[in-house]
Amino acid sequence: MDMPAVVFYVGPFGITSIVVTTWGIMIILGIFCWLATRRLALVPGKLQTMLEGLVLAIEDNINAVIPDHTQQVLPFIATLWVYIVIANLTGLIPQLHSPTGSLSVTAGLALLVFLSVHWFGIRSVGVRNYLRHYLSPTPLLLPFHLISEVTRTIALAVRLFGNIMSLELVALLVLLVAGLLVPVPLLMLHVIEALVQAYIFGMLALIYVAGAMQSQQESKKGNDI
Amino acid sequence: MSFDWTTFVLEIINFLILVWILKRFLYQPVLGVIARRRADIDKSLSDALQIRNEANELKAKNEQYLTEWETKKEAAQAQLNAELASIRESKLAELETRINEEAERRRVLAERNRHEFERLTEEKSIAQGVAFTNKLLMRLASPELENRLYIVLMEDLQGLRQQDKHVIAVAAEEPGLQIKIQSTFPLDTSKREELTRSLHQVTGKTLPVVFNTNPELISGFQIDIGAWILHANLRDELKSFGGVLRHAG
Repeated sequence: MDMPAVVFYVGPFGITSIVVTTWGIMIILGIFCWLATRRLALVPGKLQTMLEGLVLAIEDNINAVIPDHTQQVLPFIATLWVYIVIANLTGLIPQLHSPTGSLSVTAGLALLVFLSVHWFGIRSVGVRNYLRHYLSPTPLLLPFHLISEVTRTIALAVRLFGNIMSLELVALLVLLVAGLLVPVPLLMLHVIEALVQAYIFGMLALIYVAGAMQSQQESKKGNDI
Repeated sequence: MSFDWTTFVLEIINFLILVWILKRFLYQPVLGVIARRRADIDKSLSDALQIRNEANELKAKNEQYLTEWETKKEAAQAQLNAELASIRESKLAELETRINEEAERRRVLAERNRHEFERLTEEKSIAQGVAFTNKLLMRLASPELENRLYIVLMEDLQGLRQQDKHVIAVAAEEPGLQIKIQSTFPLDTSKREELTRSLHQVTGKTLPVVFNTNPELISGFQIDIGAWILHANLRDELKSFGGVLRHAG
């Protein structure tokens, strides 16, 4: 895949179309959410019901994995799901590309997940206790823990980037080879794949975060015993 | 596959900004309204529970009132039954008294009716007996019977008591008085003379004597001496007989 086109420059930094698309998504989402949540009522309308259903579904999923810290991690995990779904589906709009089809974007998200795992882990049990889990059950496993942290972050970034990029590439190839309407079934597959990949990314991030927080709790319980 | 550090860094910043935006404008308001709704629902449930408890308390009180009312009702019912029984007994006694009085009154009335009936029957029998006797004597009326009555008359005149004679004598004191002798059949001369003598002897005066016949006498005689009248005939005897019988009845 080619380098995304630079739309404009801010000093030495070239602002690519991916960044502009992300800003567009952010603006649209922000305005939509602001408008939709201005007048929330106890007896909800259709839009409010849909928003409440979405938030409650996300909350239930998080609560099923990490019931003690649901409200703490909800903004990060829910934003991952919402943003990645919209970013994946943006590729269906003509003349636009999915931001998640760029390794720079998925790497940034994966890095955030990597950092958030440590952030929530440290906030949960403290620096010393958190770092201690790398030495458990034996210090000999420390290199494997470190390799695991790095590889799963890379896998997270590459998985999302590879799937979305390949979907767009396949759709482009089919369009070139077979004609205008032939890629339509492939676009339907794109929708499903976009939802599935967003769910996988967010769920993996949630599991990593939950693992970091709950593993510390398990080690604390072991020490207490 | 290419990697752009500017895009990488900006995407991290963008995502963090997006987290803030969504937290500020989506998650917090929506979760807040859900929490408020849950609080309202909990409050409604709590109110409903409180109302239900109050309703249960009211129900219990109501049941207690009903029980007390039932007890009072039963007591009042028992009192009413006792009063009714007392009133019924007094009414029954009164009714029995009235029935007895009515029975006594009916008995007296029946007795009186029976007596009246007996009296009427007796009078009817007497009347029938008198009529029968009258009819029989009328059939037996004859000069022979009158002769027999003449003999009886003479015996009676001779057998008068002294006080009777005195009464007759007083009656004969009336001036211009005539002795009237009525008979059913004409008397012969000898009887007229004998009767005249006997009357003169009884009155002690020689008053004029007038003889008449009167078939209504059936048989026998009627002698008028002023206010004193001597009956010796079947008509008057029958009248007397009937009156005696009636008086006796």
